[in-house]
Amino acid sequence: MSTEIVLNAPRGHYRIKHVARSEMAKIITLRSSAIALGLTFAACLLVTGLVSHSALHHDPGYYSGFDPTSESLTGMITVALAGGVMGALLITSEYSSGTIRSTLAAAPKRPLLLATKVGVTSVLMVVFCEVLSFASFFLGQAILSGGGAPSASLASSGSARAVVMTGLFIALIALMSFGFGLIFRSTAAAIAAFVGVIFVLPLVMHGISESDVHYLPTNILINSIMSTVNQGPGGPFAPVSPTVGLVLMTVYAAVALAVGAVLFVRRDA
Amino acid sequence: MITTHSLTKRYGAATAVDNLTFEVPSGVVTGFLGPNGSGKSTTMRMIVGLDLPDSGSALIGGKHYAELDWPLREVGALLDAKAFHPARSARNHLRWLALGNDIPRVRVDEVLDQVGLTSVANRRVGKFSLGMTQRLGIAAALLGDPGVLLFDEPVNGLDPEGIRWVRHFLRDLAKEGRTVLVSSHLISEMSLTADRLVVIGRGRLIAETSVADFVARSGDGAVRLVTPDQVAFTAVISAAGATVEDEGRSLTVEGLTSSQIGELGVQNGLRIYELTPITASLEDAFMELTQDEVEYRPSTMPGAFAVGEKG
Repeated sequence: MSTEIVLNAPRGHYRIKHVARSEMAKIITLRSSAIALGLTFAACLLVTGLVSHSALHHDPGYYSGFDPTSESLTGMITVALAGGVMGALLITSEYSSGTIRSTLAAAPKRPLLLATKVGVTSVLMVVFCEVLSFASFFLGQAILSGGGAPSASLASSGSARAVVMTGLFIALIALMSFGFGLIFRSTAAAIAAFVGVIFVLPLVMHGISESDVHYLPTNILINSIMSTVNQGPGGPFAPVSPTVGLVLMTVYAAVALAVGAVLFVRRDA
Repeated sequence: MITTHSLTKRYGAATAVDNLTFEVPSGVVTGFLGPNGSGKSTTMRMIVGLDLPDSGSALIGGKHYAELDWPLREVGALLDAKAFHPARSARNHLRWLALGNDIPRVRVDEVLDQVGLTSVANRRVGKFSLGMTQRLGIAAALLGDPGVLLFDEPVNGLDPEGIRWVRHFLRDLAKEGRTVLVSSHLISEMSLTADRLVVIGRGRLIAETSVADFVARSGDGAVRLVTPDQVAFTAVISAAGATVEDEGRSLTVEGLTSSQIGELGVQNGLRIYELTPITASLEDAFMELTQDEVEYRPSTMPGAFAVGEKG
């Protein structure tokens, strides 16, 4: 009865590095990951290209208060959409396919598993969003300066800050969406929650409380993070400074992840 | 070895698993038998930590699943068949699993070969038939060469050749000293595969015994007798203190062995054409024990036992 097979298992036990390798392999082995990242890249640069191009050749009056940095980051809105969808899918696809059962079989310590998943998602999203943010900025500035419109460089006031923060902010949006995925487990529900918060809530809030609109992720992103002009407490559109805005977004993402984590650890898989 | 102690799981008002205590020793195949919806899958999910019990415990070698150092190297589980992403290839599915428990990459090709999926290893799992999916699930369970194996309805969707393969395979795994728990709602399957049985109905333990004992418990040693001298034989047997039932073309005798009946025939000059001890089948034994425990039963077929797809 006690003749259990002796296996030549390595010493110790599975750790974060094993789970992280496993999670990375899962992402890499799905062709849809590469397709999604590629399409997002193309869509972002296309939007930035079109927007920057349409800002060329206007009357001088058009350019008063013109923010070339913000203009060149417009394409990042598509990244916010794609990042939100990808963030949710990274967890909900495991539930819809049943993969989560295999995942938990290999790494049953749920807090460790989830921390690793959040870590891998964070690194992936931060790298991807930062790369795109810089690419979008340089493409936009090239078009603007090439067409003789006012343009900016990373040395311009607030530009480097805007580019770096836009990437971080959108990565945080993706993480918030990952949190929704943990909470709802269904792809449709998680994406509905994400689209609701990012794209619908700003419209609805306008009708409810004009002053609170500024604290929504979308408004912070456009008015405080991407912008180098209308920012700071004194600014007409943004009572939220970029730093406060980034902190607020971190809190939103952390709350979604925390609720999701509690449910993930407690619920039957 | 797997041990459960007072394992209980409720879903709202319904109790899926009710105070279940049993043991799965190593070295033999333990069949986990029960009608559809009797709590077999829920119990197995609690053993591997997917579902958390409301009370009681399920331990593997004295540890909770979540406490295992290298879970896939210690326990292999084939649960509800689908645990793969349809867009990933079989090989890639096993690769990411292997990475998670530091299992050498060569094992991936070994287990693919073992279950006969080498030729389709790079195909998307979504294109697999039910039988191929089942084989991949078995490959995943074997990946870490674990000493404890759980299979929930492993022959579902397999063709006859595959069923035979699983049967031999489970017995071989047990012969190697491993702990093997295999669930089924198909009694005939269990009678061919298992040495021991854990029988449950409505989440409660009905029996924990060897297959032989389980059958013997229900088999009462009746003997079928075919004779042209029915009337005379009935009188002789009754005189010997046994009971006889007239089945038309044969008699069913209870209370005498076949050799005793044979002796009676010779002593009284009565002819015997056929003398057959009747052993109850595992199915009979099961039906008798679970009569009151079947949850889903068509009202038009009292006592019917579902065969085929599991619910």
